[in-house]
Amino acid sequence: MIIEDIASVPAGNPLYRWEPRTKLIGIMCLAFAFAAVRDLRLLPVMLALSLFLFVLSSLPFSYLLGRMRIPGIFLLAMAVVLPFFSGNTVLVQLGPVSLKQEGCVSLLLIAVKFLCIVTIAVVLFASTPLTRMLGSMRSLGLPPLLGDMMLFTYRYIFQLAADFHRASTAACLRGARMRSLKSLKTTAYIVGSLMVRSHERAERVFHAMTLRGYGRQDMDFYKAKIRPPDVIAGSACVLAAAGFVLFQLLMP
Amino acid sequence: MHVPDGIVPAWVAITGYAAAGGTTWFSLDRIKRKYENPREMIPTASLLTAVFFVASLIHIPMPPTSVHLVLSGLMGVVLGWYAFPAILIGLFFQAVMFQHGGLTTLGLNACIMGLPALLAFGIFRLRYLRGGDKPGPSMIFGFLAGFSGLVLGALMSSLILILTIPANLDVSVERAAILSLLVAHIPLALLEGVFTALVVLFMLRVKPGLLEAELK
Repeated sequence: MIIEDIASVPAGNPLYRWEPRTKLIGIMCLAFAFAAVRDLRLLPVMLALSLFLFVLSSLPFSYLLGRMRIPGIFLLAMAVVLPFFSGNTVLVQLGPVSLKQEGCVSLLLIAVKFLCIVTIAVVLFASTPLTRMLGSMRSLGLPPLLGDMMLFTYRYIFQLAADFHRASTAACLRGARMRSLKSLKTTAYIVGSLMVRSHERAERVFHAMTLRGYGRQDMDFYKAKIRPPDVIAGSACVLAAAGFVLFQLLMP
Repeated sequence: MHVPDGIVPAWVAITGYAAAGGTTWFSLDRIKRKYENPREMIPTASLLTAVFFVASLIHIPMPPTSVHLVLSGLMGVVLGWYAFPAILIGLFFQAVMFQHGGLTTLGLNACIMGLPALLAFGIFRLRYLRGGDKPGPSMIFGFLAGFSGLVLGALMSSLILILTIPANLDVSVERAAILSLLVAHIPLALLEGVFTALVVLFMLRVKPGLLEAELK
């Protein structure tokens, strides 16, 4: 099992230099505004904004496509169901199957919203190292317990994936067939042993951290300063998000 | 069971965040009341969260396709009140690293998987009424916790999807869709139940303390 870390945009890129707190607030507002879109006239604007951010990030297109593979399966299921079962206005009749206008419109709306939100989410996380992102989330008020758990979990994900891979390989060498239903017991025992070993490792880690001062006071490692361009970029995103919502409220 | 971005209306996504925020606050409050120093359990809970993250990537063949384990029931069994924050964190990393789930639907997905995990935690504790930590009752309640964790999650996600996607579905089509989505999840629920029972059996033999009130 190999877990790839998130790709990163080049360090000199304006999106990389954008301070994470204002970036997180701005892009989250934009994502929720996209999710709230019901008016088809806003779809080209959404697409243009997402495309602008993606081009600015200089990420390869293949990376974005790779990221859409897993959630895209869900969209595919929608594409099979919605145009044929949703709505009453028949566009095309193909024997017993009819293509409905309302279903096609719903599918178009869902597909564009999905595409745009995933694109800006990819840009957000690829342009911010995850440790900085977690630091900024703590600085924005994430409970310290949750923040510490997130940092710890991220620290051990790759190590435990390697441990699991090693244990699976060892089981295979002893004759287990790991990709079969018959190996469920072996897989369960490997997961169980990972949990037991992790528990013991966690006790040692906690003692070592306590000796280094962990828990005596809330430590804030987040040092990034908000500069005027960060405020401008964040405000532009929030204003664009407000524009999407207001357009739908005010325009017939 | 992961709802992607853009599928549900914004009000559903925002309600999901509010519900997840409330449940996280409630879980953290229970944890703080339980421990004099809640930070003491952070490394254990985090490492177990990382194990669940890794284990949820295991694909098991189930003809004609293969499925990945959800493990919300097992998380409830092992992590107790830490299960909801752990699921929230796991889903955050899944959304960030694989776009599995979504950024706007993170709260909704946390509720879909986290609330069943808390139910599984409650179900597993019922074993104390029927023989405590003996292997038989522990495996039975472990199976029920894993099974019900997945069934409740599937029911919640099916209802949310069918009732809130912006489409005019016929009532009979809606009912048929919910039913077929639920039926499609039954084999996976059985698999999760068996898997949870097997992990419970392993831990009873190797480190029974991990299943007791230590974390909960």
